[in-house]
Amino acid sequence: MSVIEINNLTKYYGKARGIIDVDLKVEEGEIFGFIGPNGAGKSTTIRLLLSLIYPSGGSAKIFGKDVIEQGSEIRRNIGYLPGEVFYYDKMKVIDLLKYSASFYKKDCMDRMHELAEIMELDLKKRIDDLSYGNKKKVGIVQGLLHQPDLYLLDEPTSGLDPLMQQKFFNLIREENARGATIFFSSHILAEVQKMCSRVAIIREGEIVKTEDIQTLQDDNYKKIRVKAKDLDEKRFNLDGVTNLVRENNSVNFFYNGDINAIMKVISANAISDLTIEEPTLEEIFMHYYV
Amino acid sequence: MNIFIREVKANFRSLLIWGGIVILFVFIGITKFSAYDGNPEMLAILDSMPPALLEAFQMNAFNLTTITGFYGVMFTYFALMVTISAAMWGSDIISKEERDKTVEFTLSLPVTREKLVTAKILAALVNCIGLLLIMWGISLVAVAQYEPDSAFFEFLTLLMVALFFMQIVFLAVGILLGCALKDYKRAGSIAVSLILVTYFFSVISGLNENLDFLKYFTPFKYFNPATLLHESSIDLNYVWLSLGITALCIIGGYITYAKRDLYI
Repeated sequence: MSVIEINNLTKYYGKARGIIDVDLKVEEGEIFGFIGPNGAGKSTTIRLLLSLIYPSGGSAKIFGKDVIEQGSEIRRNIGYLPGEVFYYDKMKVIDLLKYSASFYKKDCMDRMHELAEIMELDLKKRIDDLSYGNKKKVGIVQGLLHQPDLYLLDEPTSGLDPLMQQKFFNLIREENARGATIFFSSHILAEVQKMCSRVAIIREGEIVKTEDIQTLQDDNYKKIRVKAKDLDEKRFNLDGVTNLVRENNSVNFFYNGDINAIMKVISANAISDLTIEEPTLEEIFMHYYV
Repeated sequence: MNIFIREVKANFRSLLIWGGIVILFVFIGITKFSAYDGNPEMLAILDSMPPALLEAFQMNAFNLTTITGFYGVMFTYFALMVTISAAMWGSDIISKEERDKTVEFTLSLPVTREKLVTAKILAALVNCIGLLLIMWGISLVAVAQYEPDSAFFEFLTLLMVALFFMQIVFLAVGILLGCALKDYKRAGSIAVSLILVTYFFSVISGLNENLDFLKYFTPFKYFNPATLLHESSIDLNYVWLSLGITALCIIGGYITYAKRDLYI
């Protein structure tokens, strides 16, 4: 059974597009990346899963339960970290965290102190005295303290310094090792690449592709750069070649196809240099995005 | 329960501020009354005023030179204070979550929207009752020096009961606005505007017989202090009307809040 199952989920804000016909399945125990540029519909999808907003069409299930009908029951087992955290300003961190913990039917105090220590969070301060990054830390401790089975992370690293990001990723990996499923939205490709096993790319509200991160990278795409004098780039116009760019004495392009075929074309030239690289996820992503 | 306790704590400061205003108001009122107390010249001045003006401020039904009469006139101002505070608490306690963007945190916790609204209604009700008790208590202290008779205390109790019904009507109106309006900025101002409009209705409905029907649209007319004083009873029809409006608004609040998108 999939932990998250989204079927034809659509959301319009009035006439403005939120997401259109999103279909996704996230399996138990995986770290699933959800990637796309700003405004693509990542937060909309997550807020629909939390039933903070309601869909215009389609449905979504978490743990096999409908997110609207059984929302509060589902949320007992969800840790949510929004991109920007807002808490009751006048409360102390410790009171806020205790308040949050009081909604879960288990003792979260030990875990709370442990997390606060890892994230170097001062529990005695008032929320409105905290910097943006420190508020984010409160969000992390609050989202993780009840050790849920599913984490919904929406741009979780924004505002954290690299050291804290690292600690956060370690925490997430530990939780994943414990068996928790992670749904990780981001526009930063490197962190998705580092963390996730599968990824869905969303663009202008629609899922463009869902793929294993390995496959996406392997997808036979090669980044090729040929250097030679008097190069005629038209020779490289064969099936599977994209993004062909000529720069002085060299030609750059992506190639997806039989590697022997391209090698023949390349070797027909008197080349002075050749590089064949794995494209970065960023480059693959741009390929879908453009 | 945890939401209720947090809300009561968070709103306690607001109760203290309103309590302070009420205490100040009662003391200023009583100080003024010391000039009217048993003063026949005051009566003569009032008699010379245009009757419509007196009617508008409900001053013709009362003898301002007695403490009972004075409280009868004060009732209007008490009513304005408790209804404005109730409507603001009602709308604010719901809409502040969206204003402060905390609603994303609160409703990603394992609670239903219904439970959240229930806890908030009860917390706002605590403030309303608290303010009424402050008003009642400080009145008892302030009038003690005039040694009022038992009829006054009976009248004061009726006034407070009447104020309570007005409070819950406007609390419910505030809750409905806070729940229904996605535009949180407007909830509070619409709530207070409604009070001013209905108060205006209550003033003009007394001035002209053709406008008499307006009295059903303004809770300020449901409980007439003159009737409370002279008949020592509250008109049950208006009690039911008040409870009916309250129930409708609360139910409307639950339904609209459960169905709408949160403003995040």
